Amino acid sequence: MGTINVSKKYTAVEKAYLPAILIGMKITMKRFIQGFLFRKSWTIMYPEKRRDYSDRFRGAHFISVDPKKTENCTACFLCETVCPAECIHIVAEERDEADNSYGVAKEKKPASFDIDLLRCCFCGFCEEACPKDAIKLSTNYEMATYSREDAIVDLDHLKRPMNGRHEKKDS
Amino acid sequence: MSNPTIEIKKPKEDLNYTSGLRPVHSDSNPDAKPLPKITIDGKQFEFKPGDTIMQVTERYKLHEEIPRYCYHPGMPIAGTCRMCTVEVEKAPKLMTSCSTPAADGMVVHTKSEKVMKSRTGVMDFLLTNHPLDCPVCDKAGECKLQDYNFEYGPSKSNFKEEKRVFENATTKVLSDKVTLNMNRCVHCERCVRFTDDVTKTNDLVMVNRGWHKELDVADERGLHNDYQGCLTDFCPVGALTWNDFRFQKRSWFLDKKASICDRCSKGCNIEVHSDKDIVYRYVPVFNELVNGHWMCDEGRSSFQDLMNPKRVISPLLNHNGSLTATSLATVLAEVKKSAAAASSVQLIVGTDATREEAALLKDKSSLAFGRSVTVHFHNGFIRSSGEDKKLDALLRMADKTPNTRGVEEAGLTPLANGEVSADIVILFRNGRAGTPKLSANQKVILWGVWTLDEVKALPTTNVLALIPGLATIEKEGSFKNADGIVQKFHPAIEHRGGAVSAHQVIGLLTANK
Repeated sequence: MGTINVSKKYTAVEKAYLPAILIGMKITMKRFIQGFLFRKSWTIMYPEKRRDYSDRFRGAHFISVDPKKTENCTACFLCETVCPAECIHIVAEERDEADNSYGVAKEKKPASFDIDLLRCCFCGFCEEACPKDAIKLSTNYEMATYSREDAIVDLDHLKRPMNGRHEKKDS
Repeated sequence: MSNPTIEIKKPKEDLNYTSGLRPVHSDSNPDAKPLPKITIDGKQFEFKPGDTIMQVTERYKLHEEIPRYCYHPGMPIAGTCRMCTVEVEKAPKLMTSCSTPAADGMVVHTKSEKVMKSRTGVMDFLLTNHPLDCPVCDKAGECKLQDYNFEYGPSKSNFKEEKRVFENATTKVLSDKVTLNMNRCVHCERCVRFTDDVTKTNDLVMVNRGWHKELDVADERGLHNDYQGCLTDFCPVGALTWNDFRFQKRSWFLDKKASICDRCSKGCNIEVHSDKDIVYRYVPVFNELVNGHWMCDEGRSSFQDLMNPKRVISPLLNHNGSLTATSLATVLAEVKKSAAAASSVQLIVGTDATREEAALLKDKSSLAFGRSVTVHFHNGFIRSSGEDKKLDALLRMADKTPNTRGVEEAGLTPLANGEVSADIVILFRNGRAGTPKLSANQKVILWGVWTLDEVKALPTTNVLALIPGLATIEKEGSFKNADGIVQKFHPAIEHRGGAVSAHQVIGLLTANK
């Protein structure tokens, strides 16, 4: 195996350390004066304040529902097909004829719809492929979980009410 | 007559395109009358008098050039869809290639501007009432309407009016095997002609005319033929769908490998459609010597026996009266020990074993078990291949095991009266052959493909061990079918459980001194 030598020969100024410390202290003092005396803030108080992202930001997924809270998804597998990270797993089934008031339009439904958020790369291809506008990416970026299992979200979780990316405005 | 050996392979073409027609050549004898010639797209081809233009293209594998909906090589010609029109020089109009007889000196263009314009027009008309439900439709991905629309269709529909909807036939269950969605139908009538001329059961008809033309069952018996799955194969759109496959998997995810159906002694050639080694359906592949284009429903549904969650795929050993899963080495050592202790051992080979397995068990079982073993075969449906008979005019046979003739040929003899007579009986079967009569405390060792239900249904409770084996589509071998045709096949899916091949078991037993 070859060895790459990454060690560096320091110059006399670098070896003295003091000039570099002074340059650093200059930046620190500048920020201290800006923040403390002129109240200019560089961070936000996160949980109370949230940063505004662009409308085009791609965050957590959700599945849109109709007024009867039935998912718009017809389990066509197009998102699973297009997904480059292979993080979507769908099982399809036929909707019970007894409680199907939609007829042929919603005769096929997802029996389970799982998204592995740890595998997901948030490319938004699923949203683009969806013929029913069912799967969408919201602007929600808070997806931390306590365990890896919690990061695999199911249909009930995906059907939760969410703020989607803005509808196209008439102009 | 020598028996032909066929290696089962997947043909290059789609099932709806494959035909048994071969190129013909004029007799080299100068006195003989030469065959007529036709010019298709600038090339000359010889044909047999009586061929239609479509059949000439089939002879020379040019058929992909001509799109079709109603034409099917296994059925009579109708000429209803108008998709296959070609330009014939000196003919005033475009001619349907499926129904126009080829003539000597005829000059045909399949790709001229006029033809392409006609195909675009036909597609526009077919799509006027076709719903845009490809995402829900099971045919999507293998649908001829999608393919031809991509190739020839108009980019934009000229139809602005409301689409026709058959209120009572959007999801109509024609039988427990087939569901109809009439909105998707393009009225090619392949299904009607199939029931009229192939199965001759006449169970489907088109009722009403024009805009209201609708597929329906002919009488109160409903759709009742034994080849309903074929309707869903050749339906060019998703109008007729197979209930077992409905909503199960999108067609583009499926791995397709050729294999053989082991549900009867016909040995139909099939394509196993699987994803991640889970089988979703069987589809016939064309073999003019065996099954033509078709396959029966019994065989088509038989993948469910294999995918049965109760199939035993782990070696079992009788431990204090109950069967317990353990390692193969332990089971084989115990099997050998109890076989050595027994006064007599009989090995019953089911007629669903391959020819190779039958020969192996006949020659090597005495060596493997380290004592004399008498080997017989047992079928469960018929005594010997002489009793086998056809159940209908098409494919179905009375013998529900695939290799009775092959096992007989290997030199095995049938079990006298279907009764066993040894101290320990080893039953080797691949999930199809029946089990012989057993007394209530007969000691048995099971080997091969068994489900837990089958083990529980045995009259004897004295099951010493179970060695799981590979099913037909998981292994390599050959069957000799009822017509004496030997068909070789290769594994279509990989077995993911603990089952091992018979060769491996015999090898391990022989090595285990």
